[in-house]
Amino acid sequence: MHKLDPLLRLLADGRFHSGAALGEAIGIGRSGVWKQIRALEAMGLEVHAVQGKGYRLTAPLELLDRDAILARVERSRARKLRGVEIFYRIDSTNRYLMQRAADGLEGPYLCLAESQSAGRGRRGRSWISPFGRNLYLSLLWRFQLGADALPALSLVAGVAVAAALEDTGVAGIGIKWPNDLVHGGRKLGGVLIELAGEASGPWDAVVGVGLNIDMKDLNDLGIDQPWTDLRTALDRRPQRNRIAATVVDALMKALPQFEEAGFAPFEQSFRRFDVTRGREVELHQGANRIKRGLSLGVGEHGALLLQSEAGISQVTSGEISLRIPE
Amino acid sequence: MDIRKVKKLIELLESSDIDELEIREGEESVRLSRHDRSGAGHPLVLHQSPLVAPAAAAPGPAPAAEDAPSFDGHVVTAPMVGTFYVAPSPGAKPFVEVGKRIQSGDTVCIIEAMKILNQIEADVDGVVADVLVENGQPVEFGQPLFVIDIGES
Repeated sequence: MHKLDPLLRLLADGRFHSGAALGEAIGIGRSGVWKQIRALEAMGLEVHAVQGKGYRLTAPLELLDRDAILARVERSRARKLRGVEIFYRIDSTNRYLMQRAADGLEGPYLCLAESQSAGRGRRGRSWISPFGRNLYLSLLWRFQLGADALPALSLVAGVAVAAALEDTGVAGIGIKWPNDLVHGGRKLGGVLIELAGEASGPWDAVVGVGLNIDMKDLNDLGIDQPWTDLRTALDRRPQRNRIAATVVDALMKALPQFEEAGFAPFEQSFRRFDVTRGREVELHQGANRIKRGLSLGVGEHGALLLQSEAGISQVTSGEISLRIPE
Repeated sequence: MDIRKVKKLIELLESSDIDELEIREGEESVRLSRHDRSGAGHPLVLHQSPLVAPAAAAPGPAPAAEDAPSFDGHVVTAPMVGTFYVAPSPGAKPFVEVGKRIQSGDTVCIIEAMKILNQIEADVDGVVADVLVENGQPVEFGQPLFVIDIGES
């Protein structure tokens, strides 16, 4: 347990608590409370302090809870997990599990964090990760697959998460190849996979899911693209532990299926979520636009089929954007 | 593209030893060539076309097999098509640098494709003699990435 856990659990309701009451409840003095409040602020939490009333969080908080998550994962799958770790703050849940895998840890193993100081997106972008608002979840999994089959994992993970969110009541969720989760033309989340292994396998894969859950009233995040959150998509306050459990359950169901049968069982679902199919898109590599054309959907290993003047090409690298935003 | 710019480019070409010049600017590209096709004089051929790039125009090196320079040492090649990264995250220390001693199995770079970051491992022990690709550049299958000096190990 993190040393700030008792204080944070008391403050999570978003109501005022006097310094004296807080100190008494967790067995520390008032100056100790004050120090811990400062530590919470240093983690990026906004604490409102009012003379005579005490402290409150500016927004209520649902802390991630291991038991609450596992209780909602289908039992046979929950039993397969070799471990679950939840951090208040970590550089990157993906990096952490890759490191653990390099040191010999074998999946399935789950890691979540309330915030990340160096959350990773693709192309070396950072993933903005404020405390307690979103979902940063990584699942370590060992695959016995050939190298050519693995790229489709990127799409499979995206489909699994999109379908899981749909089941929780999010209508109109889409996937922008390979696995950006979008809603109303805005980015809701994404999956980033890290892979280490030999060409013949086995492979240690870390499937990292970043999902915007409740970013209400957070300003100046410095996010460089249109974004949205589940709260907006659902039009109510989502429960983070419930969403986390849904995502974990969906991934743990999809990954063995992918190992068994490849991309085929997911192709129909991907097509249903695909927002680029039949539309004019641009392909960028770094700062350069390298191709324009019509998206024809994806091929059997998950490559994007792009029709341009030069013919149909299979795209596996680079970033796709819609020429006319939704 | 501004015709005055093109004229300047022509002058530039004429005053140089260059046979052919290609400039890209946004969506436009201009290619000037003094190739003598008729045998008479030095006509300048001007193509101006929007850059609806065919696959071949994508920035990428020639296939490794053809006129590949020979390297003095073991060459680590790209096992896949993707984007080459020297470090695990932006601003982080590169996995390897010239002069670094590495062992087989050490991660030397990451190649990203379809939002999968693939850790590429060295297949020999040795010392990194050269890094052949710049961070963030696209790489082709089989493209040489590193030269590893295995002589002194």
